[in-house]
Amino acid sequence: MKQTNNNDSVNKQSFLVACPSCDLLADTSHLKHGETANCARCDHFLCQYKDDGIARSLSYSLSALVLLALACSFPFLSFKASGLESVMTLPQTALRLYDYGMTELSILVAAFILVIPLVILLLLLAICIPLYNNTPNPMLVKTGRMVFTLQHWAMAEVFLIGVIVSLVKIASMATVVLGISFWAYAGFTICFTLALSNLDRVQCWNAIEHLTAEPSS
Amino acid sequence: MTAITAASKDLASCHLCYKLAPATEHHCPRCGSTMHLRKTASIQRTLALLITASILYIPANVLPIMITDQLGSAEPSTILGGVVLLIELGSAPIAAIIFIASVMVPLSKLFALFYLCWCVEKQAKTSNQQNTAMFRMAEFVGKWSMIDVFVVAILVALVNLGGLMAIRPGTAALAFAGVVIVTMVAAESFDPRLMWDQTEENNE
Repeated sequence: MKQTNNNDSVNKQSFLVACPSCDLLADTSHLKHGETANCARCDHFLCQYKDDGIARSLSYSLSALVLLALACSFPFLSFKASGLESVMTLPQTALRLYDYGMTELSILVAAFILVIPLVILLLLLAICIPLYNNTPNPMLVKTGRMVFTLQHWAMAEVFLIGVIVSLVKIASMATVVLGISFWAYAGFTICFTLALSNLDRVQCWNAIEHLTAEPSS
Repeated sequence: MTAITAASKDLASCHLCYKLAPATEHHCPRCGSTMHLRKTASIQRTLALLITASILYIPANVLPIMITDQLGSAEPSTILGGVVLLIELGSAPIAAIIFIASVMVPLSKLFALFYLCWCVEKQAKTSNQQNTAMFRMAEFVGKWSMIDVFVVAILVALVNLGGLMAIRPGTAALAFAGVVIVTMVAAESFDPRLMWDQTEENNE
């Protein structure tokens, strides 16, 4: 991840960014570790430079993957009233909708809370491992495109707030117990958000470009 | 102040990887996604999606979002009905969250995007800073309206005590998910740079 050491002139060029919100050009080559660049005209966030961004993203993705596996394998919430109990697991949020004949909705829910976050995590690993090890990989460009296209559509954090809202909604009707899975999913949401936010778009693409261009030059 | 924009240098910025390339390029030389100086037919697309979302918003509010079966009697509840019920039950903060997330946010997002499209079309003299902030807000709140759909999904999965009590999903949940998704796509197809382009032209 020491892009500034070699090919300085090429990298200066690629650190020139046009604000996606107002098109003003900004030079981000002077950024040091931890510094962020915002657009001078409209204040839109442009990028944040981190020396160890890839390593951070990689470790958070791995933790998130483990926590997601835990979240899917234990009871999520349980609900007790009048001596009866019903226990739900995370995949059941989508499966029960399917049982009631709302196939489209169950697919959407499964995609937003489980499938898309999982796919993003796997793609993040597929990007971060080659970048971390400096090994060129022909799939890097495709993987990068998929990550940055999909990332708006992961709604783990929204789901977590939804869980809290539903807890309060039914807490008066019966006893609700939080399962292991709930805490695992909460941890997963945090790691997932950190994994994505540590992968800076400008820095990541410069690194991909640098790595994929190497063999031909 | 003459601002140096990418367009003034005949450069297009890749929407996905932020690579700058000559405006004549059709595909990004770095990541291969299609490149445009400005998003194609931005206003038309955004308006079409906004109208779709507005139509979907009607069944989302009129039809029941979930049905509570308790001791043999089925009680359907709409989004607003749920809010009223929560206030009656005394949980005003939760009622506020639901009301803000599922009524105010989608509505204000629709109005904000309609207003921004109107500003660009009519070349209205408005503050770009303010409009950009408004757009960024509309973009940011996008997925948070999904809370209500997730709440329904969770309650359906969780509350299932056989004949004693069960919660079933209603058609409005799907319509509401549609509203959220369509407005998210609408925000994505709006190009905020169009607002700034006008000031550039006016300065010249």
